[in-house]
Amino acid sequence: MSEKKKKTKVTVDITRRDVLTLAGVAAGSAAAAVLLTSGPLSPFASLKQEQLSVEQEPGGHGATSLHHWGMVIDLNTCIGCEYCIRSCTAVNDVNTDKTWNIVVEEKTSGGQPFFFSRPCLHCQNAPCVEVCPVNATYHREDGLVVMDYDRCIGCRYCEVACPYDARKFNWEERTDVNPYIPTWGIAEVERRPRGVVEKCTFCIHRIDAGLKQGLMPGEDPEATPACVNVCPVNARTFGDLKDPNSQVSKLIANNPTVILREELGTKPSVLYIPPAEGL
Amino acid sequence: MATATMEPKPVKLTPGLLAWFGLVGVLLFIGIAAAVLVFWNGLVVTNMSDTVPWGLWITIDLSAIALGAGAFTLSAVVYIFGIKRFQPIVRLAVFVGFIGYTCALLTLVMDIGRPDRFWHPWVYWNIHSVLWEITWCITIYLAIMLLEFLPVIAEARFFDRWPWFRSTANTLHKAAPALAVLGLLISLLHQSSLGATYGIVKARPIWFKPSMPIMFILSAIAVGPALTMAVAFIMEWITGKRTVPHEILFTIARFSGIAILVYGYLKFWDTLSVLYYGGSAAVMEALTLLRESTPYNFTFWVVEILLGIIVPAIFFLAPRFNRRPLYLVLGAMLATMGIIVNRWNTTVSGLTVPMDYSPGTQYLSPVGTYFPNLPEWGVGLGIIGYALLMLTLGALFLPLFRTKEAHE
Repeated sequence: MSEKKKKTKVTVDITRRDVLTLAGVAAGSAAAAVLLTSGPLSPFASLKQEQLSVEQEPGGHGATSLHHWGMVIDLNTCIGCEYCIRSCTAVNDVNTDKTWNIVVEEKTSGGQPFFFSRPCLHCQNAPCVEVCPVNATYHREDGLVVMDYDRCIGCRYCEVACPYDARKFNWEERTDVNPYIPTWGIAEVERRPRGVVEKCTFCIHRIDAGLKQGLMPGEDPEATPACVNVCPVNARTFGDLKDPNSQVSKLIANNPTVILREELGTKPSVLYIPPAEGL
Repeated sequence: MATATMEPKPVKLTPGLLAWFGLVGVLLFIGIAAAVLVFWNGLVVTNMSDTVPWGLWITIDLSAIALGAGAFTLSAVVYIFGIKRFQPIVRLAVFVGFIGYTCALLTLVMDIGRPDRFWHPWVYWNIHSVLWEITWCITIYLAIMLLEFLPVIAEARFFDRWPWFRSTANTLHKAAPALAVLGLLISLLHQSSLGATYGIVKARPIWFKPSMPIMFILSAIAVGPALTMAVAFIMEWITGKRTVPHEILFTIARFSGIAILVYGYLKFWDTLSVLYYGGSAAVMEALTLLRESTPYNFTFWVVEILLGIIVPAIFFLAPRFNRRPLYLVLGAMLATMGIIVNRWNTTVSGLTVPMDYSPGTQYLSPVGTYFPNLPEWGVGLGIIGYALLMLTLGALFLPLFRTKEAHE
């Protein structure tokens, strides 16, 4: 009880020691604040640098390698034939109920119909990459967002977080027969096992094998995503966003482009040329 | 402290106890059958889909962890804030918390597509992911609770034959304050991050708000201790023996009542700012859709707010009710239901609302429809069976209500 009484007694005597302690604490926190906000160890500083570097790139991309693969989809030319879906589904051996690409009929605000298609947008600030607890989905140096199927635990947080509904989960072991093989292509990659999430890869197996052979993705069909090759009206163009002379860069330079849900700041690698009469 | 009298005695198998074990056994059997079905065939046997990839099981995870919050709250009260008179309930609180967290882990293992890779977050780090942080926190906190609870287990008659185990565990008890500090920090972190799991998803306007983590931690602190209080009363009714001094339970109820009011106040302003004063078009559309296609209006206003916040607050705080165990237990049960429905509303509603990413005006990704099917309910029943089994075994064999302080 005597201790309690002592505690409740109000005292206002400030000693020299108190002053020194307080001064020390203030100086210490100021130093810590400076270190944390601007020092080389600061988590905020590196974040800021990352953001700045992303914004300084011409295409707004954060890819660190020589290339940054991207796609331009022209909403004027797409005729909604869904060949991209079929070819992609054959080459990547995708479940026909859960295709990586989608094609839907759309209308502009003026009532003009057009067709809208969507692969994975390979965002440079990808929400799926940020939320994955095990780094099973990550950025490659060339800007692609890829999956490590051997690491994925199947929590489906990426599927919940993707703003573009681009991810699909393998709810069961697949036994289905792929109706698009061999008419639309042959399977170039393995089927994914039960319990992992999958999505469009921009056909990385083609990009990687092509570059090794000295081919240029976007120009040589062997090194280009299946959906781009098969498109009968060239609505899809693929290439290096970092190369100002690539087809994609020229399209972006000479046309108005639209980014899906731009307000989220995801910085997709897929850009759209809107219908001529406007959206 | 003569009130703590539940000495562990040889257990007599009365017909009542046998019937109870029979019921728990049936629940466990249903749960195991459902789990085998899921492990054998994959998650395809559930009603979850690519549109609504999270459902009942995530709701159970979130609820079980929130309801286990009594453990860290009451440990902190006793060992950090030094309010020693709550000592008699700490053991029960930690025990209930431990059951809650293990329930969550069991459900989580069911829910992930690759249960064989449950250990991946410990090896492959993505420190930017809230889910990674949650996994780590839950693992560490489970270990803390085990250490906190080890002295109680060591006191069971069974360990008469190994005195060294008991003495080690008793030494561990001296670390209780340190464990309480660590437990408080870790719990504040992950109870909030569970809300952040939704709050950071900018793809879904109905979730994307900074209040999410705060609402989660606050509701957990409010209702977790109340559940522990209710468990103490119910054990007392069933065993006919005094468990925890009633004054302590009354005080916990009052604390819970005030915390629920604070939670309700923030929820009120959260709702007002998001829906009324600052309602963005996307959120308004989402809520209109939820009102039209789901019983969201009823579950939010009646179950979450009226039955889950207002009624428990009245039972816990009004002098007419707050010294009558029946009303306190009823209030705790209603608040618990409120928490569970809140976690359901958060998870499933956010996924029901379709996303709008097309540049045109017509296409929306499909509206999510979800209601759990039999295997999902089966696993849920199994989890309830597990929780009841643990509570029964604890009440029968562990000295939950005998504190060291009371004996020395």
